[in-house]
Amino acid sequence: MKILLAEDDFATRKFMANFLSKYGECDVTVDGMEAVDAFMMALEDGEPYDLACLDIMMPVMDGYQALVGIRNLEKQRNVPEDKAVKVIMTTALNEERNVKMAFELGCTIYSGKPIDQDRFEQALKKLNLI
Amino acid sequence: MAEEFNTESMLDMYLFENTQLLEQLQETVLDQKDADCFDEDSINEIFRTMHTIKGSSGIMMFDNITAVSHKLEDVFYYLRESHPDNVPHVELVEHVLEVEDFISSEMEKIRGGDSPDGDASEIIANLDKFLEKIKNGTAEEGAEPPPENVHTAPTQFYIAPMATSASHFYKIFITFFPETEMANVHAYKAVYALKEIAEDILYSPEDILTDEKSGEAIVKDGFKILLQSQSSEEEVRELIGVGYDIQKVDVFECKAEEFLRGFDFGDADAPLAKIDLESSVEEIEARSTDAKSEETKPAKPAIAPGDFVIQSREPGKQKKLAKDKPKGEKASFISVNVRKMDQLMDLIGELVISESVVLQSSDLKVPGLNLDNFNKAAAQLAKVSTDLQNVIMSMRMVPLANTFQKMNRIVFDVSRKLGKDIEFVMIGEQTEVDKNIIEHISDPLMHLVRNSVDHGIETNEERRESGKTSKGKVTLAARTEAGKVWISVEDNGKGLDRDKIIAKARKQGLLEENKPDSAYTDKEVYQFITLPGFSTNEQVTEYSGRGVGMDVVVQNIQAIGGTLEIESEPGLGSIMTLKIPLTLAIIDGIVMEIGTSSFVMETGAIKEFTRVKESMMIHEPNGDEYVMIRDECFPVLRLGRWYGLEHYEESVEEGVMLILEIDEKKVCLLVDRLVGEQEIVVKPIPSYIKKVKGLSGCTQLGDGSIALILDAAGLIE
Amino acid sequence: MDETSKWRENAEGNDTAASEGYDAQKGKYMTFKSGLEYFGLGIQYVEQIIQFQTITAIPETEDYIKGLINLRGKVIPVVDVRLRFKQPPLEYNDRTCIIVINVRDVTVGLIVEQIAEVVEIKEDNILPPPTIGRGGAHNKYVYGIGRVGDTVKLLLDPDKLLNDEDLSIAEQANEMIFEENER
Repeated sequence: MKILLAEDDFATRKFMANFLSKYGECDVTVDGMEAVDAFMMALEDGEPYDLACLDIMMPVMDGYQALVGIRNLEKQRNVPEDKAVKVIMTTALNEERNVKMAFELGCTIYSGKPIDQDRFEQALKKLNLI
Repeated sequence: MAEEFNTESMLDMYLFENTQLLEQLQETVLDQKDADCFDEDSINEIFRTMHTIKGSSGIMMFDNITAVSHKLEDVFYYLRESHPDNVPHVELVEHVLEVEDFISSEMEKIRGGDSPDGDASEIIANLDKFLEKIKNGTAEEGAEPPPENVHTAPTQFYIAPMATSASHFYKIFITFFPETEMANVHAYKAVYALKEIAEDILYSPEDILTDEKSGEAIVKDGFKILLQSQSSEEEVRELIGVGYDIQKVDVFECKAEEFLRGFDFGDADAPLAKIDLESSVEEIEARSTDAKSEETKPAKPAIAPGDFVIQSREPGKQKKLAKDKPKGEKASFISVNVRKMDQLMDLIGELVISESVVLQSSDLKVPGLNLDNFNKAAAQLAKVSTDLQNVIMSMRMVPLANTFQKMNRIVFDVSRKLGKDIEFVMIGEQTEVDKNIIEHISDPLMHLVRNSVDHGIETNEERRESGKTSKGKVTLAARTEAGKVWISVEDNGKGLDRDKIIAKARKQGLLEENKPDSAYTDKEVYQFITLPGFSTNEQVTEYSGRGVGMDVVVQNIQAIGGTLEIESEPGLGSIMTLKIPLTLAIIDGIVMEIGTSSFVMETGAIKEFTRVKESMMIHEPNGDEYVMIRDECFPVLRLGRWYGLEHYEESVEEGVMLILEIDEKKVCLLVDRLVGEQEIVVKPIPSYIKKVKGLSGCTQLGDGSIALILDAAGLIE
Repeated sequence: MDETSKWRENAEGNDTAASEGYDAQKGKYMTFKSGLEYFGLGIQYVEQIIQFQTITAIPETEDYIKGLINLRGKVIPVVDVRLRFKQPPLEYNDRTCIIVINVRDVTVGLIVEQIAEVVEIKEDNILPPPTIGRGGAHNKYVYGIGRVGDTVKLLLDPDKLLNDEDLSIAEQANEMIFEENER
């Protein structure tokens, strides 16, 4: 599985990369802009990501903007729904309106931090990613 | 339920919304438990409720809740589409309540930070069988099977953060020796060490690596760290370590809210209340008397993508958003420390007293003064002050409805288990009482209700045998009267057995040797059941009878300054009445003096006052006294003598006789003189002092002195 | 209050206002004279010291509970320390003071004959109290004897002082027997 990670905090980044590499090959970016660039690059190369893990609070572009960017790129290329990348937002923000907005913008899983690793795996299974 | 959450986190909202739905569901079901079947509206409601719970639980990945609500949704879908006849209604009701109980208890687990690990498979299997049964029972020859309920599996999921149970929050304060150089670097070492175990960490001063002056600040004021971590205090201390430069390390565990508040402190641990800043006075008052006093949450300003872009993040600082977000956005609700609300209440009391002092000032008594304008202004002041009092008191008031509803369920459960047919009626459940009081009466009420159902109301056969035609009924009623709230639990059962009670009392040595049984009034006899260890039940049942209940009930009620009265008629039933003073009462009172002491009594209790002549008095040989006033005979109570006061007036002709009346009982109270009528603030007598009969509180008079408040009901007894 | 203590105090959270809980407070006692002896109360329990003022009596209470006073709007019960110690009461004069203490959220004023000073007594200068023998009802409330120079202060446990019920019938009987034997 190809995984894209966007996280601006070094320590968290290290942890997440480590955690996600269990499930597949993980590419690391440090802000929203870089994440969208990486996503675009993979699309052009014909090897799109299966899973994108985005922090919400990031410099340059936040997680929501990155999500919108990613979904727009997919729409433009007519990527069918079952092939669209599954997006996980990871964040310490837990308010209902944050979650609602994420879902509306097309996020697949919203996970509060610190990450509940068991449930995370459970969700990946439900989405048939693992 | 609105007051239980103070952030709108996803999990809180899930719990809040679904708990409300379940409560509503329970109400609907209990309402219809005696009907032949559910009506169309109810079926739709139950279907929708289960559908919603299934959906949101699916997103949260609470699979067992999802599965069980899914199954019940299927059942009601079938009922809705096929309208079968002869559905076993009582069984259906039990199934619904079973599901509701299961989901409720799973949500309790979630609320407490545990995982919802209940096993619903048995409930689901039972529902399956039930559904089969009603499908088979109504299968018509050649009829088309109804459409199957279609479920869409959730495609989006929410995973709650791990922080709820295992994370600890610490406030750490490090003091360095005064001579320490580069204290900022030492501080950074400590922070770096803690990062290993930190889920989140903040420190102040922030610029420790780049700002050299921060070292001086740290030496002078100390270094503060806020830490969120699963580690224990010892582990934290170990990591910070001991350095020759560190003079002292203080580690305090604190709560999540304090951690989130950052280095801005307020009052740490009191719960938060919500105050509406924008609605007008009328709206607030109206809302508190509204039947549905739900807190309406006005919309917060909407969020949009791009709101969460941060400035390049520096470690140790809270992430600052690039977009300028005003801190504490102007919502119409703010969270306020309940302690501050208490202070506000006290101040309003002080205001009333100060008002009295001003209006009674001797400066105004100068003869010949034209006080017209003054009086007009005073009237306006009084009006504003009254409005203020009302709004503040209404902010803390909560209707009893919730508490009463809980009793509904208990009556249902216990009566079903005992096989008794019992109706439950609520009166006055919109009566509001102070937040504080609700917490203290819930348990006592439950006990009284259980008693009524268990012991008061007879079994169906017994009722038939004694010729009672009506169903067993438990009535819960509430109303306010004279600064108190009266809550009564009434049943139409067999009443208390006076003979049995007095026999047991005699056996336990509680009666006076020489006083015959008949000398005890019914009221006195019934009060015996509130003594510890007293229970005339031979059998101890699961619900009551252990004799540890009633005394605890009375204790709980007395703790909030209330009393329990018991009335009963053999064969007809019993009434248990709780009388609880509202926390802050401002009442109209008459101030009187006896000897050197001042007393106040609520104006409403005083029917009349008059002077009497010695010739109107009747003196009994045993010391009791009566007085004839206009051909009516009243017992006389000399307060001075009764309370052992000093220097009071002995002669009835020199004093004033007050005729008190409560509940049609009358008594005459002899006092020295009446001082006047004024509004007084009822303050409780400090709990350190044990309850004195006839006194229900104290107050401060216009001149600053303290007057004791007389409780007419207590004196009449 | 300086930053340090403010921060500490907030960090403590649940302590009552009077109980400050950090080292600076320990070891300091408010002392007062009653009869022939000096007593001490941990300063962490003392809220304030006020002049004697008019007391509103409450009927039907124990003799040592003299009544209520009005302390800037708050109604506080007051107790006569001599009566609590079962000593004959003295007339109140202008040296009489009220020490307002707060123990476990209960605020009570203690009427004392004469206020003395605040002293610091280190742990090693505190000896255990005498066992029953020397009579004096106040012994119940004394948890230790503090040495200050060549004087001693009887250190009171405010919780017991406020809350201990009067001796039960059995205990009273025992005391009487004890006293009989002493004679």
